[in-house]
Amino acid sequence: MIQRSLRFAVAFGFSLVAGATGCLDAQKPGADNASSALTSEVAAAEAALERGDRTVAIQGATRVVDAFENIRSPNASDHLAAGRAFVLLGPGNAGAVKRALAEFDAATAANPANQEGELRAVNLFLDKYQADDARKSFEKVLTADPQNARAMLGLARVQHFQGKADAFATARKSSEADPALSDAHVLLSKLYLESEDYDSAAANAKRAIEIDSTSISAWSLLGATAWVTGDSATLRRARAAATRLQPKPASFYTEIAEAAVRQRRYAEAVDLARKAVGLDSLSVPALGVLGINALRIGATDESRTMLERAFALDAFNVWHKNTLDLLDKFKDFTTIERGRFQVIAPPQEAELLALYAIPLLEAGYDSLAARYRYKPDTPVRLEFYRYNADFSVRTVGLTGLGALGVSFGNVLAMGTPSSRQRGEGNWGSTALHELAHAFTLGASGHRVPRWLSEGMSVLEERRAGRGWGADASLPFIAALSAGRLRPMSQLNDGFMRPRFPEEVQFSYYQASLFCEMVETQKGAPALRAMLIGYRDGLDTPGVFKRVLGQTPEQVDAAFEQYMRGRFAKPLQAVSAGDSTSAAGSFVITMQAGVALLERASRDSAMMMFERARAMFPDYGGSDGPSWYIARLERDAGNIPAALISISQVTARNETAWDANMLEADLREKSGDDLGAMTALERLIWIFPYDVTIHTRLAALAAKHGDHIRSVRERRAILALDPADPLNARYELARAMVDSGDVAGARRELLQVLEKAPSFEKAQTLLLQLRGRS
Amino acid sequence: MMKLTLVGALFSIALITTPSRTLTAQQTHVLIVQGLSGEPQYRKQFDSTAALVRNAARKKWNVADSNLTILSEQANSAQRVGKATREAVAQAFLDMSRRVKPGDVVLIMLLGHGSGDGAASKVNLPGADPTAADFGGWISGFDRQTIVFVNAATASGDFVSVLEGKGRVIVTATRTAMEKNESVFAPYFAAGLTGDAADSDKDGRVSVLEAFGYASKEVARVYESSNRLQTEHAKLSDSTLAARVAFGGAAASSDPRVAALVAERQKLEDEVATLRGKKTSMSASDYDRELERLLLAIAEKSQAIRAAGGKL
Repeated sequence: MIQRSLRFAVAFGFSLVAGATGCLDAQKPGADNASSALTSEVAAAEAALERGDRTVAIQGATRVVDAFENIRSPNASDHLAAGRAFVLLGPGNAGAVKRALAEFDAATAANPANQEGELRAVNLFLDKYQADDARKSFEKVLTADPQNARAMLGLARVQHFQGKADAFATARKSSEADPALSDAHVLLSKLYLESEDYDSAAANAKRAIEIDSTSISAWSLLGATAWVTGDSATLRRARAAATRLQPKPASFYTEIAEAAVRQRRYAEAVDLARKAVGLDSLSVPALGVLGINALRIGATDESRTMLERAFALDAFNVWHKNTLDLLDKFKDFTTIERGRFQVIAPPQEAELLALYAIPLLEAGYDSLAARYRYKPDTPVRLEFYRYNADFSVRTVGLTGLGALGVSFGNVLAMGTPSSRQRGEGNWGSTALHELAHAFTLGASGHRVPRWLSEGMSVLEERRAGRGWGADASLPFIAALSAGRLRPMSQLNDGFMRPRFPEEVQFSYYQASLFCEMVETQKGAPALRAMLIGYRDGLDTPGVFKRVLGQTPEQVDAAFEQYMRGRFAKPLQAVSAGDSTSAAGSFVITMQAGVALLERASRDSAMMMFERARAMFPDYGGSDGPSWYIARLERDAGNIPAALISISQVTARNETAWDANMLEADLREKSGDDLGAMTALERLIWIFPYDVTIHTRLAALAAKHGDHIRSVRERRAILALDPADPLNARYELARAMVDSGDVAGARRELLQVLEKAPSFEKAQTLLLQLRGRS
Repeated sequence: MMKLTLVGALFSIALITTPSRTLTAQQTHVLIVQGLSGEPQYRKQFDSTAALVRNAARKKWNVADSNLTILSEQANSAQRVGKATREAVAQAFLDMSRRVKPGDVVLIMLLGHGSGDGAASKVNLPGADPTAADFGGWISGFDRQTIVFVNAATASGDFVSVLEGKGRVIVTATRTAMEKNESVFAPYFAAGLTGDAADSDKDGRVSVLEAFGYASKEVARVYESSNRLQTEHAKLSDSTLAARVAFGGAAASSDPRVAALVAERQKLEDEVATLRGKKTSMSASDYDRELERLLLAIAEKSQAIRAAGGKL
């Protein structure tokens, strides 16, 4: 047990600046024994809290505060000790937290040369989620003292809190500036654990323990890493050490619960957090992890109870408060349960979204269950959020996941289509993507790494809908050309530690291409075999060896070769421009085509666009050659040729609103009603709020005897709260009559006429239905 | 709220409860003032909105050409459109004041861009801009008519407080003079007033309140569907009168057989209203059965009215 005395002097996981006390005392030669006594007493109280002995800690802190209040002229050490005591009294007492800040400020004012008060105040800011304030203060300290390892560590914590990739570099700098700073290794261990680099996580936890074997944070991280990797011997050793330091090691189990969350093993995380709460019912982190993850597995009541308890103890925790606010909003949400799915959505949108989402997910469930031989528990819950802020509250903590959707197993969440601009997303592919996660997570015992789960989800999108799933973009080919993409075996870092903004998006596509390659080369069962490998506890090299018979290096080489073969043509025509753009003959040819078009040189422009298309045949962007060619052909009256080109856009672009609209128009004009209906369906998955699309589809469906679809579309129009709801309901009744549902139609008509007995068309239909069953 | 059609005037005020009562001829007068557009897209919007109201006035509401005045930023003699200057607007009110009779309805619709505030709120016309105070003076003599004054221009909100009064329904596209951004209210209000979609009770007539409700909902939808903050909020001065002033619908028949059938149907509709009041105290099946019986009876009466040559 080395450095025990130092540990005692830690309030927020940060040790005192070396020599600080001495400096403070030196500042005031008259510093008496009372100051030392206060400092010792508060250190003892902190140590008691470290041991989990909250009662002793509070008693000690109370004594420090009482003594401090009787000091007529407190010096910097007194203020510092009092601040630390107020921190201990903080849970459930917002006034004590504010007082702690005031005392730290007073310590700094009494001795500006010493940064201890400043650092403690800043850490308190960070603990209370005031990251921006904390960052500014740490930077201020670093300006005065650029080599201050604790300030660097504090800054790294801020960066970590804010999800910034440079947290790693800053934490490393901190450990280099002070190699004996165990907390720097603690943070590094946590960062490695989060990025699923378990060897480095364990190594840093061990290094932190070598420096300070009394660090329960270090033992907890070692335990968490061991839990994730299935190293039961190390887990037992870490637990024993943690229990020696803290007889009821709530923080140990909380850390493992958090690791379980990061592995998307939510049910296990809840069990671990329950254990932590059982050991310390006043542990805010344990209550928070339990509350948030209970919500993720659908245990809403338990979630609320735990979060209310956490919030009562720490009113500063914005995350807990936001989640409680979100739970309040749930009361106003509408739940629609049909078959194996529950849709929970704002009341204005629930019926509309459920009309489409549930049949899609039902079909997806059957298809995925057959492919992965796994069935998630039902009902599967799909939550829709209209406001990004609410969705963020639901998903925060999953760094880099993006803002489209999230899967917590059989609880899925995503933004409503109305939360994005039309053409910014495809809500059908997003829902299917998240459902696929429920299968890959479950089939692997929640051990599948992020990269593979995402790759399989994108692949499943592509199977489910024409044009769905990521596709080769110009920036992607440019990045491939420039060697900016990661090797396959390091792809997880592309999600967890992106080096540039587009990298997460590229990683999705790259991962899906890998899955495509595996299926092509090893057959469809190979992907499931990979999931089984992870479920059996293998790591990625182990899974590669078992399923693909290759080392990671061989996989990297094979995949590189696969990609270069698959994109051979565009790679010749696209090169990297500056750091964020693409260049090459494709771009030049497109630019020439557009310029010719602007000068009304239609034939020359067409030639350029044809040439560009030959260079990059798979390009599906809405600014690509096929889009221009389609419109030129349409303008020339060559509808069949226009259709061929526009189909090349809609087949590769899941958000192409204008292209799908053009295809629907052209197909309807050319008499291909069924093709037009398919294009209209695709438009609905891009943006379901356009009544004219539903009206067109309803009419076409009715014309072709597709009465089920016609009724669905009439229901959709009604769900959109149309300007003329009675007429919309009347049209629904008509569609129901056509579909043979006379009883349903009569019910709808009675609703219409109850409100508007004079509605002539509805009267006539009601008379027609008289006597029909 | 029941709306009734007045004989000979398809733009009507329903002040009575028995449809068989015959009233003397009552006329509708329409003045459309189309201000400066500034940009082609606004010109197009103002033109189409004015055309919608003009066509409905002629064809659906049977407003005589002599009672229909249209002023625009560009005169068009072929279409009987005068130049929309302040003087021309004043003259139009003066002419109208000579034509109107007690009980007539006057619809004034301003399209364009607004500015100013309070009594100095304006609608921008070629030349000097008339203010809300000017309009207040011009309509002050119409105290024996019902005035429906629609200022669908931007920044029009303060017209309500300046013009509101007995026998007047004032509608503005914006809540205050501060809402100066581009407004989409006018085309929706015009569509509501002249089409069937706003007829929420499907009685064949559209009240000002129904048109206002329809337009307000559609305006909100425009902003919501494009994820934009709504920068215009329409305002209405007197919802009670607005519910009673209705457009469209067929004139009551003078055929006593038809009138009797209409009265019988009205009685059945009243029974439906009574039944609705008992809904919570009845079992669902009893309620539905009785409702269907009454509704079928109403439908049969409608069929009989049509067969007898009556209009619904």
